[in-house]
Amino acid sequence: MENFPSLRFAAMSSVSQSRPQRVLIASGHPLFGQGLRSLLEARRRSIEVIGVVSNLEEAMQALEKHSPDLVVVDYDDQRLNREEFLARFLEGERKLRVVLLSLSDPQNALVYDRRRLAAAQIDDWLEEWTVAVPPEMPGKPVAPAAETQPDRRKSMKHLIVASILVLLVTALLLFGMSQVRLLPEAASLQARPIDRMFNLEFTVIAFLFSLIVVFMVYSIVVFRRKKGDLSDARHIEGNYRLEVVWTAIPLATVLAFAYLGSQALADTTRVDPKAMEVNVIGSQWSWRFEYPELGITTNELRLPVNTQALLRLSSTDVIHSFWVPEFRVKQDALPGGKEFIRNLRITPTQLGEYKVRCAELCGLSHYAMEAPVIVMTAADFQAWAAEAVGLSADPVERGRKWYTTYGCNACHSLDGTPGVGPTWKGVYGREEQLSDGSTVIVDDAYIIESIRNPGAKLVQGFQNLMPAAIGADLTDQQLQDLIEFMKTLK
Amino acid sequence: MEQKTGIFSIGLIRGLGGFAAGTLIGVVFTVLVRVILGLPAWKPEPAWVVGVVFGTVGFMLGTGVMNDWIKWAKGEETSEHPEADPRLKGWAKYLSVSYDHKVIGVQYGVTSLILFLLAGSYALLFRTELAATGIQFLDPKNYNTMMSLHGIVMIGATLLAVGAMSNYLVPLMIGANDMAFPRLNAFSFWINIPGAILLTAVWFFGGMDTGWTGYPPLSARAPLGMDMFFLGVYFVGLSSIFGSLNVIATIVRMRARGMGYFRMPIFVWTAFATAIIGLTATQLIGLSFQMVLFERVLGMSFFEPAGGGNPILFQHLFWFYSHPAVYVFVLTGLGVISELLPVFARKPLFGYRWVALSSFGIALVGFLVWAHHMFTSGMAPYLRVPFMYSTLLVAVPTGVKFFSWVATIWEGKLSFETPMLFVFGAISIFLLGGLSGPPNGVVATDLHLQDTYWIVGHFHATLFGGFVFPFFAAIYYWFPKVTGRMYNERLGKLHFWLMLPAFYVQSLGQMQTGLLGMRRRIADYDPALNIQFSQLLVTIAGFVIGLAVLIAVINFILSARRGEVAVPNPWRSRSPEWQLPSPVPEHNYAEGIEIIGEPYDYGLEGSAYVDLRPAPAAAD
Repeated sequence: MENFPSLRFAAMSSVSQSRPQRVLIASGHPLFGQGLRSLLEARRRSIEVIGVVSNLEEAMQALEKHSPDLVVVDYDDQRLNREEFLARFLEGERKLRVVLLSLSDPQNALVYDRRRLAAAQIDDWLEEWTVAVPPEMPGKPVAPAAETQPDRRKSMKHLIVASILVLLVTALLLFGMSQVRLLPEAASLQARPIDRMFNLEFTVIAFLFSLIVVFMVYSIVVFRRKKGDLSDARHIEGNYRLEVVWTAIPLATVLAFAYLGSQALADTTRVDPKAMEVNVIGSQWSWRFEYPELGITTNELRLPVNTQALLRLSSTDVIHSFWVPEFRVKQDALPGGKEFIRNLRITPTQLGEYKVRCAELCGLSHYAMEAPVIVMTAADFQAWAAEAVGLSADPVERGRKWYTTYGCNACHSLDGTPGVGPTWKGVYGREEQLSDGSTVIVDDAYIIESIRNPGAKLVQGFQNLMPAAIGADLTDQQLQDLIEFMKTLK
Repeated sequence: MEQKTGIFSIGLIRGLGGFAAGTLIGVVFTVLVRVILGLPAWKPEPAWVVGVVFGTVGFMLGTGVMNDWIKWAKGEETSEHPEADPRLKGWAKYLSVSYDHKVIGVQYGVTSLILFLLAGSYALLFRTELAATGIQFLDPKNYNTMMSLHGIVMIGATLLAVGAMSNYLVPLMIGANDMAFPRLNAFSFWINIPGAILLTAVWFFGGMDTGWTGYPPLSARAPLGMDMFFLGVYFVGLSSIFGSLNVIATIVRMRARGMGYFRMPIFVWTAFATAIIGLTATQLIGLSFQMVLFERVLGMSFFEPAGGGNPILFQHLFWFYSHPAVYVFVLTGLGVISELLPVFARKPLFGYRWVALSSFGIALVGFLVWAHHMFTSGMAPYLRVPFMYSTLLVAVPTGVKFFSWVATIWEGKLSFETPMLFVFGAISIFLLGGLSGPPNGVVATDLHLQDTYWIVGHFHATLFGGFVFPFFAAIYYWFPKVTGRMYNERLGKLHFWLMLPAFYVQSLGQMQTGLLGMRRRIADYDPALNIQFSQLLVTIAGFVIGLAVLIAVINFILSARRGEVAVPNPWRSRSPEWQLPSPVPEHNYAEGIEIIGEPYDYGLEGSAYVDLRPAPAAAD
C-alpha cells in the first residue's frame, strides 16, 4: 500500500484544521468504494468519508447536502460519466477538489481543483496524466545527491576547455580588429593618449566579449537537454565566494580604468603657454576663424604643425561643436559671449588637409556645416599670415571676402540658386515683396537694416533664420563693402 | 433587451471626439483671453498649446476613464469590482476603458507594437536616404523631423512595452488579483494616446529639428512642432510616473502569503527597481521641457544667455532623468532574461539574491552618472572626472547579472524554443552594447566618440539587447498564457535568425562609421569619409530587421486567432501565473495562493513553490 498515492492532503495543508476533512467517494465498484473508505478512515482521524455514490445524480445530491472538501472519483468506472461530472462540477460555486484514481495505475493520480478550462481544454486535460502527488511531503524537499568525484572532474574539464576557448577567441577578435579600419589616422599630439586608451579599451572589450559569449556558446553546444528528458539539472543555487570574486575584480578593473582615463584626459589638456590663439566662431551654418594676434579673419582654419593652437570656441546663435576626427578632441561652442567661451587645445602633428564638421545638431544645415583645416609648416604659415593680413583696398574685393568669412554664403547664393535666403544675384535695386504684403526696393538702407535687424522686413517666401548676432559683428565699413559687392552681382 | 453597440460605445472613439472638442474649446478660450487682454487675437503658438492641453483633458474625459473619480468627487458610490461592459465584444473591449490589469497590459503591449512599427518605418525611410551620399528624397527639414520622431516614438514604445510587461505580470507573479490602483492603472494607459497624437501632430505644425533631446537654444527657436513634442512627452511621462506608483504599491502591499521579498520571482525585483526610477526621475524631463515651453510661449529665458540664462543648465536637468530612463528601458528586459533562463535550463537562477539586489544597484548608480552625456558640453572640466568614475561603476552590478546568467546555464539542461533563442540573443547583444559603453565613460575617448555613430551603435545595441530582444522573448513566452493559444514556432525561429545577424551587422557598422568620423543626426555625410559601403550595409540590415519584426507581428495576429490551443504550462515553469489556466481567468487567483518554497528550486526533488489551494476556512 506504500505505492498507492496516499491522500495526505490533510497533512499538506499548512494551517491546522479545526474540523475533519470531508471526502466523497464516487465509484460504482463496491471494492473501490468500501475499500478506500476503510483505508481512509483507518489512517486518519481527521478524515470523514461522507458517502460513497455510484452515479452522477447521487454525487450531485451529496455535493449539495454535505459539501465535501474532496471528491475521489474512480477513473476506471465506465458508468460514471466523467465529462458530465466535471461539467456539472465546473458550474458549481463551491470550493472543491477532485482527484481521479485508477486501480490499474497506482503510481499516478489526476487532481483537479476548481479552475476554469475552455471546453477544448477539458479534452486535452483528460487525456493527460499528471504526476500530482509526490512521494514525499512538500515543504521537506529531498536534498540533492552529493557531488561525486567523477562529477567534479567532469566540471573541471568543461571549465578548462571553455577557458582555453576564451583565450583563443579573444586572440581571434583582436586579430580581426587589427585588420579593419577602426580609427582615422592620428594627426595631433592630443590623439596619442586617446588612442592608447582606445587600444586598451578594445583589448579588454575583446576579452570580456569572448568570456561571456564563449561560455554561453559552449553551454549551448555541450549542455543541451536530451530529447524526451523531462528531468531537471543539478540544483545549484549559488556560490558566495564566486560572487565576491566577480564583484571585486570588475570593481578593481573599472577603478583602474577610471584612473588611467583621468591621466589620459590630463594629457589632452596640457597647457602650452606659448599656444597660438584662434577664436573659432560657429554660426548657423558656417565657421569663422579669427587670429587676434595676427588680425586675420578667415573661413579656413590654418594651423602651423607642431605648435599648440588654443581654440577659443563660441557661437553666435545655438550650440555647435568643433571636431576634427583626426585630432580626436571635441568641444561644444556655446552662445552667450565672453563667459561662455570654451577652450580646446590642439597640437597638429601631421601636415595635410582635414575638415572640421559641426558635431552638435544645430538645425537645418547642420550636416553641411564644415570648414577646411589646413596644417602647414611654420614657414608656410608665416607666409600665409603675412599675405592674409593685407586687406584689399578695393571695397568690392573686401565685400567678397566678408561674404564668405561671415557665412553669408551658407544661405545666399551668387548665381540665382534658391537657398535658405534670397539669392544676391541682381539683388541691388530689385523690388521685393515682403511677408506683410508691402513691397520695398533693395537699397542701402534696406540692406543695412536687414543685416543689423534680420527679420524686420522679411522677404515673402522665406523664413526668419538669419542669425541676429552677425549684424552685431560687422562694422559699418564692412557693411558698405558688402553693399558694393552686391552692386556688382547682376 | 440588449443595447445596440454604436461606435460611440468604444472608449477610444469617444476620447478622440473629446480631443477634438477640447482642442477647439482651448483655442477659442485663448483667443478670447487675448482679446480681453488687448492683444492681437490670433497667435498660433499659445492658441495651439492651450488648445491641445484642453484637447488632452477632453480625450481623458471622453474615454470615461475619469468617471469613477468624478463620481467620488460628487460623493457617489462606485462598485468595488467593476465588471467589463458586456456590450463590448472581442477586440472592442481593448479599445475601451478596462480596469483589469490583464486587459490594460494587452492594451499597452499592442499600442507599443504599433508605435514600434511607426518609429521603425521612420528609421527605414531615413536609412534609405543615408544609404548613399547626397540628398535623394528626404530634404533636411523632413529628415531632422523624422529622425527626431524616430527617437522619441521608440522611447514611448519602449515605455509602453515596459508598462505592458509590468502591468500584466506583476500581480500574477505575486499572487494578487489586480494592481493596487486599477483606475489609476487605466488612466496611466490612456494618457499615452493623446501623447502619441501630439507626437504625430509635430508633422503638421512645421516639424522639429533638434533630435529628441530638444536642446535649447535651438529648441527655443524651432517651429511650432517643438511645442507639440514637448507636450507629447509630458503626457507620456505622466503615464510613467503614475504607472510606477501603482507597481510599487502593488509589490509592497499585495504579495501573497509566504512571499517574502526574496521569494518573489526575479522579474518582480526588476519591475520594482524600474518603478522606483520611473516614479522619481521622470519629473525632470517634464520640467526641463516645460521650461523651454515657457521660454517659447511666455518669453522666459532660463537657458538663453542673452536673458541671463545658461544652456548647459538644460542639459543637466534633462539628463538627470534621461540617463536613469535608460535603466527603465532595460532593467525590465534584464528581468525577463533572469526569469526565463532557469525555466529553459531547468536549473536555479544562480545567486538569486545578488541578481535581485543588482537591479537596485544599477538603479542607484544610474542616478549618479548623468553628466557623462555632457563631457563636451562646456561644463566645468574637473567635474567630468567624478562622473567618469561613477559611470564606469555601473559595470559592476551589470557584470553580476552577466556572470549569474552564465552560471545559471552552465551545466544546465538547455532547450531552444523561441523564447530562449531571444534570451540568448539578448545576452550577447546587451553584452556588445554594454562593452561599447566604457569608451564613452572614459572622458578622453569620449571626446572623439561623442555625437558620432559610435554612440548610436552603443545605445541601439544596449536597447536591443536589454529591451527589444527580451520583449520578444517575453511575448513568445507568455503568449500561451495571455491568449490560450500557442504561437507558430517555425515563424518565431525565422524571426530570430533574421533579426540576430542583421542586428550585428547594423551595430558593428554603426560603431565603425562613428569611429571613422560619421556624426549623428545628419541628413547627409561627406563622401571623403569613405564609408558608403558600411552605410549601405547598415541600411540593408535595418530592412531585414523590419522584415523580421513584420513576420513576428503576423505570427502574433494569426496565432492569437487560430493558433493551437495551449496547455496550461507548456514551459513547466514554477512561477505562479503558470499554475493558472490559459487564458487567465478574470480575477486571477480567486481564492489566493500561498508560497511554500523558493521560486527557482529546479532540480530539488519534491520542492514546491506555489500552493494554489486556499487556506481552509475557519467555519464552513
